[in-house]
Amino acid sequence: MAGAAAALVVLVVLPLASLFVSSVRGEGGFSFEHFQRVAERRLYYQALINSLVLGAWTGLFSLLIGLPLAWAVARTNTPGQGFLKLTASLSYLTPPFLTAIAYVDLFGPNSGLLNKFVRDTLDLPFLVFNIFSMSGLVLVTVLHTFPFVYLLAVSALESVDASYEESAQILGAGTWRTALQITAPLVAPAVLSGTLLAFVNAIALFGSQAIIGIPGRIYTLPTRIYALFDYPPQHGLAAALSLVFVAITVLALVLQRAYLARRSYVILGGKGSRPQRIDLGRWRWAVFGFGVLVFIVAIAAPYFALITTSLVKSVGLSFFDNFTLVHYRFVLFEYDVTQRAIVNSLLLASVAATLAVLIGGIIGWIDLRTTAWGRKLLDYISLVPLGLPGIVMAVALIQFWLATPFPLYGTLLILLLAYVARYIPLGVRAANAALRQVDGSLEESARILGASWGMTVRRITFPLIRSGLLAGWVLVFVPAIQELSASILLFSSSSITVAVAVYNLYETGYVEPVAALAIINMIIIALAVWFADAFGRAAGPRPSTMQ
Amino acid sequence: MARIQIKGLTKRYVEGAMAAIHDLNLEIADNRFVTLLGPSGCGKTTTLRLIAGFVTPDAGTIAVDGVVLSSADAVVPPERRGMGMVFQNYAVWPHKTVFENIAFGLEARRTPSSEIAGRVARMLELVGLAGFERRLPSELSGGQQQRVALARSLVVEPGILLLDEPLSNLDAKLRERMRSELKELQRRTGVTFVYVTHDQAEALALSDEIAVIEGGVLQQFGPPRQVYARPANRGVADFMGQINFLPTRILAVSGETARVVVDGGLELAVHLPAGAPAELATGSEVDLAVRPENVRLAESGPHERPGALTGRIADVTFLGNANEYVATVAGGTRLRVQTHPSQQFAVGDSVTVEFDPTECTIFKPAGR
Repeated sequence: MAGAAAALVVLVVLPLASLFVSSVRGEGGFSFEHFQRVAERRLYYQALINSLVLGAWTGLFSLLIGLPLAWAVARTNTPGQGFLKLTASLSYLTPPFLTAIAYVDLFGPNSGLLNKFVRDTLDLPFLVFNIFSMSGLVLVTVLHTFPFVYLLAVSALESVDASYEESAQILGAGTWRTALQITAPLVAPAVLSGTLLAFVNAIALFGSQAIIGIPGRIYTLPTRIYALFDYPPQHGLAAALSLVFVAITVLALVLQRAYLARRSYVILGGKGSRPQRIDLGRWRWAVFGFGVLVFIVAIAAPYFALITTSLVKSVGLSFFDNFTLVHYRFVLFEYDVTQRAIVNSLLLASVAATLAVLIGGIIGWIDLRTTAWGRKLLDYISLVPLGLPGIVMAVALIQFWLATPFPLYGTLLILLLAYVARYIPLGVRAANAALRQVDGSLEESARILGASWGMTVRRITFPLIRSGLLAGWVLVFVPAIQELSASILLFSSSSITVAVAVYNLYETGYVEPVAALAIINMIIIALAVWFADAFGRAAGPRPSTMQ
Repeated sequence: MARIQIKGLTKRYVEGAMAAIHDLNLEIADNRFVTLLGPSGCGKTTTLRLIAGFVTPDAGTIAVDGVVLSSADAVVPPERRGMGMVFQNYAVWPHKTVFENIAFGLEARRTPSSEIAGRVARMLELVGLAGFERRLPSELSGGQQQRVALARSLVVEPGILLLDEPLSNLDAKLRERMRSELKELQRRTGVTFVYVTHDQAEALALSDEIAVIEGGVLQQFGPPRQVYARPANRGVADFMGQINFLPTRILAVSGETARVVVDGGLELAVHLPAGAPAELATGSEVDLAVRPENVRLAESGPHERPGALTGRIADVTFLGNANEYVATVAGGTRLRVQTHPSQQFAVGDSVTVEFDPTECTIFKPAGR
């Protein structure tokens, strides 16, 4: 209990407090001068506006892509359901900065592969698309955020009890009337909540906003905060801008929670039967086609660009004459920076995932199984990092640790702190969900039969929540191995990570090694997901009595 | 094997709120099957969890064989009470086989493994699950899981077995069978059973003694027959089964009986409930309580006794093993009556109504 509380204080509370302090500390003591500058100088408020515009468009398009796909998967006889699900998962798993790099390869205004094709080969110059624009940024971001809408909408659509819809039908409502008047209102809160999550995640992504926004002179909050750390760093201003960022994020998340809370009535019919699927007739192929289009844009095109780039001697020459594995050899065996980055990332992601799940498990257990004072507060604080975009977490950690005598800045340890702090909410949620599955009576039975507290945890609780904790571990590992938003401010040459290496190599123009490293990054993610799936299944059948 | 003494036991979950259980005094003798009976939320499960040691009392004590296990200051943890408990959802561990489930308590007691195998086998025999050792709970039916839960609790030879609505998740047929098995098991093992249920029929069928609890307060504690036929108050009477209340006036009180006159003129000598309050004095208005099976109907005719109560049949329901009639008597009171199925009346028939005075009780009227 004390340990978990102390961890939260060091990881979250103190850094956040120092962020507040430095945002109101001016030249001559307490002042709002930093906030005043944010409000007055176009440089800063334009970044805020750009972030909001980006978030709004991304939210809208996430809805327009995620909802139809969810409906197709959950409620219709659209063919290729597995394929559609895979498309959504892959889109979610693909780091957005990789998509951004791939799209620069395809749609860079002068040298983009597809732009060159339409301009030089087809001679249709008006079809040239400049990726370095707000529309380009929205396109790249949506490909990562639409799964938020998709996932929440699917689970809502699947949990609406069939009897709600059948009651409407027996009263004379047709398929479409039922969908509009009964189903839609029931799932609307979940869908809106997913849209807000897409908004929050979209505006927090540093990588895509730097790769696409900066060349297009579209500065957003993360890139502007990043620029404030160019020499001389302006900590006070960065803190003020960060807090503005936090305010937007928290506001959106509060709305999101409110919507999600209204969702509860969907679950009421949990025990009922699954709703019937709508027969779309010939239209099902149109819906399937939409899914294929999403797959091409979100998966096929970027991976095609990255894979071909990583396997040719130099971009622009023909693929087959040019095939080589030299870039993989370079990043894996020759270049010490990328080697170090891979080792660092694997180490950081594994340790961070383990710690986040461990702390999450303790907090979840305290919350659900004890009556300890302050357990609700502990639970709330553990959710705070959800409202802190990665770069804000980095700013907070820098300001806190620079004020202490510990030389943490630039070490692997500060990166670890950032990762654990960022992903504690995932650990807590996973542990919470796993523990909720285990009825208290399963533990009480062990106690009354003479088992001590320790024996009960070891023999009953832990085996029952193990697969849930493992799922939580992967849930943290995957974003941690691709973390860029916080790492970009915290790394040093010795503590460089894969994502930072990708970004730096890209900045210096090493197009082919970047692609190779990106593919390696994706292979690590795929292995982690596969491992979790295989191990989770091996851990035994999910017992039916666990509710 | 064990005797439980509960003194002044009080538990409130929220400060200042109504107590979940208030000032409970209960003496449970050794080798008894005792049921805690009451509607949901009455405090019976809280009482069971207090006995198990999962909950700390705010006041009062729980002692077993004279040793205090729970008080407001100190609670012996559940694992050191040597009790067994069967939960409503059975709580059979889904990741352990039947054998592992049953062996767990023995392992916790560091029983040598050579001995464990034999004891588990004997217990499986006892509950009729021999041969199921290696099954997982997910491969068992609800009734079989129930037996695993029972075997798991009994294999450690507890002095006391606590059961929290163990039959409520079973279907009606199985419930009836498990009911008799439970009773049989209790007789054979000599373990003190403390059984929680909201089903009065179950309580009547199983128990040596029933403790009726309502609103956190013990209403009556006694053998099933007594609780059913001589309910301590109107609430208990109502909860234990269908009952009629007829407006009545007391003519005279002498000792434990009272001479009363029912609206409509019928005069009876009835038993007063134990510790009858002062309101039940001569001349006061009361309700006569009589169960449907203790009312007799006869065709009205010339041989009618003077002063008999007359009524008219308002509704008939055929129940299979009985006919249930609703008869409207003087003052408009609707009286529920159960008769042998061979005795038949039609709606609208005039009847005379008679009671067995020894099966009647009087209570003060509701809401006064």
